[in-house]
Amino acid sequence: MNTSNTPMLEVRDLKMHFPIGGGFFNRLKLGGKGVRLENPVVQAVNGVSFKIGRGEIMALVGESGCGKSTVAKTIARIHKPTSGEVRIEGEDIAGYGFAEMLPVRAKMQMIFQDPYASLNPRQRVRDIVAEPLLEQTKTAQGRKDVPARIEALLAKVGLNSEHAGRYPHQFSGGQRQRIGIARALSVTPGLIVADEPVSALDVSIQAQILNLMKDLRDEFGLAYLFISHDLSVVHHIADRVGVMYLGSMVENAPRDVLFAKPRHPYTRALLSAAPSIKEKRDKEEIVLSGEVPSALNLPSGCCFRTRCPFAWDRCARERPALQDVGDDQTVACHLIDEPERDTA
Amino acid sequence: MMTNDTQNPLLAVRDLRTYFHTFSGTVKAVNGVSFEIGEGEVMGLVGESGGGKSVVGFSVLGLIDEPGKIEGGEILLDGQDLVTAGEDRLREVRGREISMVFQDPMTSLNPLHTVGRQMDEVLRLHTKLDADARHQACVEMLESVGISQAAERLKAFPHQFSGGMRQRVVIAIALLARPRLIIADEPTTALDVTIQSQILKLMRQQIADKGASMILITHDLAVVSEMADHITVLYCGNVVERGKTRDLIETPSHPYTRGLIDSIPDTAHRHDRLMQIPGSVPDIRNLPKGCNFRDRCPRAQALCAQQEPVLTKQHATLWAACHYPLKPGETA
Amino acid sequence: MTTGFLRSEFFHNYKRSTSAIVGSGLMLFFAACVLIGPFLVTQNPYDIASLDLMDSYKPPMWLEGGDSRFPLGTDGQGRDVWASILYGARISVFIGLVAMIASCTIGTLLGLIAGFYGGVVDSVIMRIADIQLSFPSILIALFLMSAVGTGVDKVLIALTAVGWVVYARTVRGSTLSEIEKEYVQAAKVAGLPNHKIIRKHVLPNVLTPLIVIATIQVGTFVLIEASLSFLGVGVPITQPSLGLLIKNGFDVLFSGLWWTSVFPGFAIMTLVFGINLFGDFLRDELNPRLK
Repeated sequence: MNTSNTPMLEVRDLKMHFPIGGGFFNRLKLGGKGVRLENPVVQAVNGVSFKIGRGEIMALVGESGCGKSTVAKTIARIHKPTSGEVRIEGEDIAGYGFAEMLPVRAKMQMIFQDPYASLNPRQRVRDIVAEPLLEQTKTAQGRKDVPARIEALLAKVGLNSEHAGRYPHQFSGGQRQRIGIARALSVTPGLIVADEPVSALDVSIQAQILNLMKDLRDEFGLAYLFISHDLSVVHHIADRVGVMYLGSMVENAPRDVLFAKPRHPYTRALLSAAPSIKEKRDKEEIVLSGEVPSALNLPSGCCFRTRCPFAWDRCARERPALQDVGDDQTVACHLIDEPERDTA
Repeated sequence: MMTNDTQNPLLAVRDLRTYFHTFSGTVKAVNGVSFEIGEGEVMGLVGESGGGKSVVGFSVLGLIDEPGKIEGGEILLDGQDLVTAGEDRLREVRGREISMVFQDPMTSLNPLHTVGRQMDEVLRLHTKLDADARHQACVEMLESVGISQAAERLKAFPHQFSGGMRQRVVIAIALLARPRLIIADEPTTALDVTIQSQILKLMRQQIADKGASMILITHDLAVVSEMADHITVLYCGNVVERGKTRDLIETPSHPYTRGLIDSIPDTAHRHDRLMQIPGSVPDIRNLPKGCNFRDRCPRAQALCAQQEPVLTKQHATLWAACHYPLKPGETA
Repeated sequence: MTTGFLRSEFFHNYKRSTSAIVGSGLMLFFAACVLIGPFLVTQNPYDIASLDLMDSYKPPMWLEGGDSRFPLGTDGQGRDVWASILYGARISVFIGLVAMIASCTIGTLLGLIAGFYGGVVDSVIMRIADIQLSFPSILIALFLMSAVGTGVDKVLIALTAVGWVVYARTVRGSTLSEIEKEYVQAAKVAGLPNHKIIRKHVLPNVLTPLIVIATIQVGTFVLIEASLSFLGVGVPITQPSLGLLIKNGFDVLFSGLWWTSVFPGFAIMTLVFGINLFGDFLRDELNPRLK
């Protein structure tokens, strides 16, 4: 599907650390040599790299706290990355300021999780949808064309011009999500970052929105970074899947490869834990014990080792790097070097 | 009329109607729901938001507050009606005979008291055990839900547990008085998928061990199909279909159930487009005449607009409220 | 719009709430007094020419020696107490409203800045607010008045200095929860500059709780102003508010000339009572947590 060699999005060694510890005065500490400012951090994203081609749908999956939403928000520049590169069509935007970001915003937009919180309750639908477009449109002539464009956008997502004058509370969850999609499309972006776009919706409505997103991809050649915790949704929509755990990417592969032969123990556990309406076949069962450690205090070596059924002493010493295992699949696990330890 | 496989059901709900009288109109959240659960059975109560499934759970426990009211029907526990029972009897039933597990464990745990104190309180209320025996029972119960160093953990406060551990504590409390029925309202919806599978496994095993019955309320057909013996599907406050789990999942006869199942993305094989149910749930204050689902139904005909369908026997173990039900092998 | 309001839940509950009707009735009554009161009486109590010392200390008209020209009696200068109340209420209400608007504007602005930008700005603004809150408001006003002198403008400054804190704290809290909302993030992604995000997305969504605070604060300010004037550090004698009327009457209260202070006191009481009744109703209606 690539029409050009430059990927739509390329992320290299992205890190996002959040300071915690309250306000300015709370962080002031009296140390040995006078006053100092403490800066404890949460390492939400810890060196993540991946690429998305034009028109490609890449999904990031993982459990809460794995940093997948932070990756999305850092790429969309709701957060400014601590370090690393974020290249949109080859252009590194990681260090951009507000004014430099504005033209980039026309190439990249975002769809949010909560259809009830992502629309300002005090704005009419037409103003919501027009918002990104108006920031990009500075000429009077351009602004005159906005209403017609809004009408076309609403039609594209399955709403009509009559809806433009209403307020968000007059719509159902699914319709609100359509409004959010129209807003993202208003500037004709090449990349849409979608942060759990269907997880707040009922299953029948979820199918409508997934179908709509796919149709839009086919029509406009959109690339999506699709964040989800739901493997079955990811399987349906994604071309490529990245699995995240505690701020790191542990596995990255084309969809069919990942679902057919997952290599990382965490991916295998996720796949076997997902409930299914099909009767249980004798599928491989990796049941994880315990829960995700705190991102304030990461384990040494491999961050998954505290829950991994195969972990041995090397896992505590050495952080595994992503390595290519063929079929365009990369895995960060020491089991790749020592497959005899894989006893499942 | 409503025959079931069980002879003497533990709980029988008949024609339950729970309405909420709000300023903008009467919300008929539950409008004529009937079902039965036998001893040791797990029943899944499934539906989308607005289906009325949680209100059914609250109604059974007598926990409907203003502006809601149970307007009609019977809730028979061992043949004894709870709708007409007094608050004293209901208090005795809650916790002792029926207990509840909610989606958010923090709503059922008191943040100011230790877990041990909250567990002890249940036993003090519902058993005649002395302090030592109660402590022993609490330790054993915490261990049986997979919490290690139970005696130590009894001294901890709810916020000192992680989300999954907290839900284990709630399940331990729900099981303490050896209730005969557990109502679990979206017990794993707030949890991650690997934690969810731990908790589901635990609930399945505990219920089998203790011989309790369970109503599992959820929007997630996949969860319910792994847990339940029977499934009841709600739509707009009505039962649209019920039957044994495998029959209902594999050959549903109501178009709504079919639509729900088909709109779940399936990891086994892939279609380019998901089946979808068009439109959205109608405004429950202003339901259409006839069948509530007809505006979204691919099989709707003139009759559906005139006459409300009633639950009738279909193939296998299924009962469905539909004028034009699906036969096995038929698609919507 | 009008029919929409008449059919709304708000209006429905209003009709069923006695305290809301009484409260808003009293507020309307005082609004009428303030707006057209001076046209209802013949005497202007501040026009020396219209005063006659012969009329001094006349009791209310229903008592012996009363005069039908002065329904609530007169004071030592022969001023009609009823006319003084109408003119005094004007000053009291004016001070309460203007100080409220000033407090609300300044407090909201500071709260928005503190909540939106956080960091050092936030810490500094909120610590000043904390310090301010740890003193009784009347004491702060007294300090300020003794430093800058008396006069209506000085009273307004003192009240605003006391009043902004409650808005700043409320707005900061709401702003903190607003900026976490996805529509604020969406506005960032859309490329809106901060001032636009604050104006279009944060401000409209933090205003509702302020309506209740603002309503009740007018009553509080009327009381504080009355206390200041009573203590002699408030408005000048040339612009007697209700509080100053009480003070003037208080000097002769124990000589049996009770009407010169009791009636103005009663006026303040009903005004504040009405405002508080209506404010409580608003609080119940606008607080989503109670619904």
